[in-house]
Amino acid sequence: MSDVDNKHYWKVPADRDGGESYRLKVINEFPEELDLKGESDGINRRSFLKATGFAFAGAVVAQMTGCSRPPEQKIIPFLEQPEEIIPGREYWYASTCHGCSAGCGILTRNLDGRPVKLEGNPHHPLSKGGLCAVGQASILPLYDSHRLRIPMMGGNEAKWEQVDQAIVSRLAEVRQNGGAVRFLSSTVNSPTLRRSIREFLAGFPGSRHIQYDALSSSAIQSAHQATHGARILPHYRFDRARMIVSFDADFLGTWISPVEFTRDYTDSRSLKSTPPVMSLHVQVESRMSLTGSSADRRHVVTPRECDDWVALLASKIARLAGQTLAAPALDPQSDALIDELANQLWHHRGQSLIVCGSNRTATQVHINRINHLLGNEGQTVDLAAPSRQRQGDDAELETLRKEIAAGKVSALFILNANPAYDLPDFAEFAQQVQQIPLVVSFADRLDETASLAHFVCPDHHYLESWHDQEPVAGLISITQPSINPLHQTRAVVESLALWRGKPADAYTLMQQTWKEDLLKRQNTHSQFQTFWDQALQMGFAQVQPESPAAKSFNGPAVAAAASTQPSVPSGKLALVLYPTIGMLDGRNAHNAWLHELPDPVTKVTWDNYASFSPATAASLGITEGDVVRLADDQVKIELPAHLQPGQNDQVVAVALGYGRKGTDRFAFVGPQWLESKPTVEPGHLVGRNAASFLTRQDNQTLYSNRSVQVERTGARHALASTQLHHSIDVPANLASPDERRRPIVEETTLAALAKDPHAGANHHELFPSLWAPDQKYPGHKWGMSIDMNACTGCSACVVACQIENNVPVVGKDEIARQREMHWIRIDRYYTSEGYDTDVAHQPMLCQHCENATCETVCPVLATVHSSEGINQQVYNRCVGTRYCANNCAYKVRRFNWFNYAHEDQMQNMVLNPEVTVRSRGVMEKCSFCIQRISNAKARAKEDGRPLADGDVKTACQQSCPAQAIVFGDLNDPNSQVSQMRANGRSYRVLEELKVEPSIGYLRIVRNRPQQLEESHV
Amino acid sequence: MNRPIILVVLLVAMGFGLWAAVAPLSAVRLPGDNQLYEPQQPIAYSHRLHAGELGINCLYCHGAAEHSRRAGVPAASTCMNCHKYVTSTLDAKRAEDDLSQKENRSPRRIVSSELAKLYDAMGLDEHMNVDPKRKQHPIEWTRIHHLPSFVSFDHSRHVNAGVTCQTCHGPIETMERVRQIPDLTMGWCVNCHRDVNANGVNGKPVQASTDCISCHQ
Repeated sequence: MSDVDNKHYWKVPADRDGGESYRLKVINEFPEELDLKGESDGINRRSFLKATGFAFAGAVVAQMTGCSRPPEQKIIPFLEQPEEIIPGREYWYASTCHGCSAGCGILTRNLDGRPVKLEGNPHHPLSKGGLCAVGQASILPLYDSHRLRIPMMGGNEAKWEQVDQAIVSRLAEVRQNGGAVRFLSSTVNSPTLRRSIREFLAGFPGSRHIQYDALSSSAIQSAHQATHGARILPHYRFDRARMIVSFDADFLGTWISPVEFTRDYTDSRSLKSTPPVMSLHVQVESRMSLTGSSADRRHVVTPRECDDWVALLASKIARLAGQTLAAPALDPQSDALIDELANQLWHHRGQSLIVCGSNRTATQVHINRINHLLGNEGQTVDLAAPSRQRQGDDAELETLRKEIAAGKVSALFILNANPAYDLPDFAEFAQQVQQIPLVVSFADRLDETASLAHFVCPDHHYLESWHDQEPVAGLISITQPSINPLHQTRAVVESLALWRGKPADAYTLMQQTWKEDLLKRQNTHSQFQTFWDQALQMGFAQVQPESPAAKSFNGPAVAAAASTQPSVPSGKLALVLYPTIGMLDGRNAHNAWLHELPDPVTKVTWDNYASFSPATAASLGITEGDVVRLADDQVKIELPAHLQPGQNDQVVAVALGYGRKGTDRFAFVGPQWLESKPTVEPGHLVGRNAASFLTRQDNQTLYSNRSVQVERTGARHALASTQLHHSIDVPANLASPDERRRPIVEETTLAALAKDPHAGANHHELFPSLWAPDQKYPGHKWGMSIDMNACTGCSACVVACQIENNVPVVGKDEIARQREMHWIRIDRYYTSEGYDTDVAHQPMLCQHCENATCETVCPVLATVHSSEGINQQVYNRCVGTRYCANNCAYKVRRFNWFNYAHEDQMQNMVLNPEVTVRSRGVMEKCSFCIQRISNAKARAKEDGRPLADGDVKTACQQSCPAQAIVFGDLNDPNSQVSQMRANGRSYRVLEELKVEPSIGYLRIVRNRPQQLEESHV
Repeated sequence: MNRPIILVVLLVAMGFGLWAAVAPLSAVRLPGDNQLYEPQQPIAYSHRLHAGELGINCLYCHGAAEHSRRAGVPAASTCMNCHKYVTSTLDAKRAEDDLSQKENRSPRRIVSSELAKLYDAMGLDEHMNVDPKRKQHPIEWTRIHHLPSFVSFDHSRHVNAGVTCQTCHGPIETMERVRQIPDLTMGWCVNCHRDVNANGVNGKPVQASTDCISCHQ
């Protein structure tokens, strides 16, 4: 189709405009220049290498004379063989992720007594087999050598007996004096933990448990309190929605339960029926979120306009339903758009879903009204079995703050919360908390809040302990320990039980809760043991939901409140604070994998930054990396600037969750060499904490309520962004006349696809093949298919691959040198301009070409073709010429510039023992998870059966919440991957080169009428 | 360039080279080649006695070989299946029986010096019960057959294909102390793979891949 042919994809604004600096950056694949100065004086790098080279050669010759054996190694077997444990064999345990409060089901892969990998549990009703980047990376803190190993008392390490004795005696004093005890935590949806806290607090009359979430969904619950008479968070069912409208809710990235929502969302857009159908997704937002990047229609508004849109939409829907509702007046253009939206929604009554990320109760009341009038309650909005994934109540936190300020709190327990970091007035909180006579924290390290506590009683990592969660009412998800506690930590429930004088272990306490509270909520099992065993095997149990009953919608009781959002004064920009998919509220600040993970949209690593739209940046004279000062009359912050296409011109967006205490530990992450720069400057932290820009209004935490003045400081802070690294396309306006356009991304519209399954195909001239088609694949022929329409860009695959394949963390400086090591990257392309910017996400990994260009140029045959179609990389044969990387059309090869392996024995326990840890000087790249293929073959052989389709799942495929990646045998016409390759949407990137890649991509389909598509071009 | 330093380094390198030239050629071994390695083990366990003379199946102790990448060294508890009752050689036991008859007393418990190490590791008292006063400690065997970290070898694949243990481990049933017989180099592995592809394993046709990534993962 000609219109698609002319579509223009680009990565940064300079790319679109064809700047010379950009051209140099793209063309110059290896940016570092050879430094030849200083050749004649002193020892420089080259002469040093020459000299050591000779010495090394001598040492090798000496080795060969056989004068030495390799160092002696020990084999230490068990004393008592545990039943059913076979050394070297992997074991899987069903468990539940604690990366956030979404409660996704996981399977932990145990090897030699320790968990080494987490995967999604395919049977889990919520996550259905996917696991996000945060969940994947949540295994790293288990082996973090910076974790607290023993409890702390008054800032010093102490023994548990001392701590317990001191706490018990202090609590006795509190009880005697009738002091107030407060338990502050983030969302606790664990039946066992809730019961433990309740029982513990029962010993102190008037005590309370307060929950708050740094990423709050409190307003949704408050709105339901107002409209439905029950403080609940609905369980949103995206799989049942034919039309989804999201107002600033990043539900595919960070909002409430992203893995579950992603799976449900892609299920509603699968295009599997004939004619193909997919849900219509409209996103109204002020910045470019991950969710917005997948939307069929995006409307770019300021935060205030977003609220007004919701109010106006509510009034228009009310009119369609024959009611009247006052609404703000908007400009005619927006009014027309909202009119269209209202009509479309009315058409999809009962099959639509409106979600909103705002934390303003008034706005959420409007959302409830819209969902009610559209008949979505009971359909896409489940109120009978509501979500418990966010329980935080901002009003309760406010009350607690007042009590603390008035000195009324005698003892404060803090669990999984970091108020001294994430509250808007964290410094004031830190001051106040020091007045409390007894502060106990359960943190796993001395974070901002724990360092203020009198006692720190570190909790286990979740993989070390028994735990349960009730993410959605009636679904109890179980966590079982997959390793003995590594340090002298103790489960919170055990600590609480001990302090109330009834010591018991977590296992007993959990079974007690299940016996007494949960067994009676189901009638499948009459015996506790079968109930328990089944839950343990599956990883979850389903019981009757128990929640405050939602009354029917009572709209008239709630007056339609006007927006309280201040409008942005001229000369200022509205500040939008948002979480990133890696850091969330800052809980992952000690996770190097997540710092190194490029943000799915901006592609920046190891920093937070102030995002401006390119037009705003131009008018302010700001370029990428300029340090800007954002200030209002109370607070200011200095951050590097980032230019973000598709963002509102009156908005500056800043990520929360950065600037955490202790992140200076990453100063020297990655290789240290003559010219290396620290990832974090001495005395600094990774990013800056923007929490002081949060506001609290009407008992709600607001994330976009401030306007800030922006000015350049004149300083520069280079951002390590991967968006231009490993570029495989030449932008049209940069290509010389004889250079051919390379169609990398292909897309079409739903309307076009209904007419032609091959719609959107690029018909390009195929080059003559340089290779004879003589390669035989007698057994398997491995291949992959990636559905770009399903891919949301969430980057779970990137982290999953990193863990599975022992991919090192290299640090910010190395990334700036284009030396990131990820085997799979997600190329993010923009197309169209301004507010109409569309985004395409394309996972890019080794294509395992049949006629691989890398194989042709390797002088030592270190990369050759296997009989099963895999492009093999042999580390021990590689001499590091890098010819292969140079000749790779897809730029997927990564070179080990250094020995990245480190000496941290504790952290090295996370390494996959089945994958070689590469050493300096060798090339590496995606192996199609060859170790998994080997394992699957071995198990099939052991069982005496042929390998079945689906026996081998690559790490990226397994973790993908959207099920966008399918791997399998192309020789088997019935395999899922063969079926996907036969789909009309399937194409191969750079097919015209005749390298015959083994990975097919399915075209993106945008749910748009055809003419809209054409108007974009 | 700093000439003197380069010169010193060069001289050292030449020294190494000379030494290499003088060393007997027969002793030249590739780095990592551990052929004929026969280290002392913490307990003088005899494969000749157990696997050869007594004919105990290899898989009795190394059962993981069928199911796992690793064959596994048996846990001390596996030894105790028999050695709870067998505490010394039959000869020593008989000698004590004879002696006790001669001296007209009940026979004493005879424990061989090597088995005493096993009982010590398990922390057992003379009645074969765990003695809480004694510290249990695992037995640290010395690894003999060692492949570099960039090589992946799966025991189960080979055992299930019918390859005998002796193919790689030599006549283990005759060894008093285990020594490495083949050199376990890549050429040795690949030759076997080629051979069985042509001739099968014990007549059974097999497909032994010679793809690099079969071993280098």
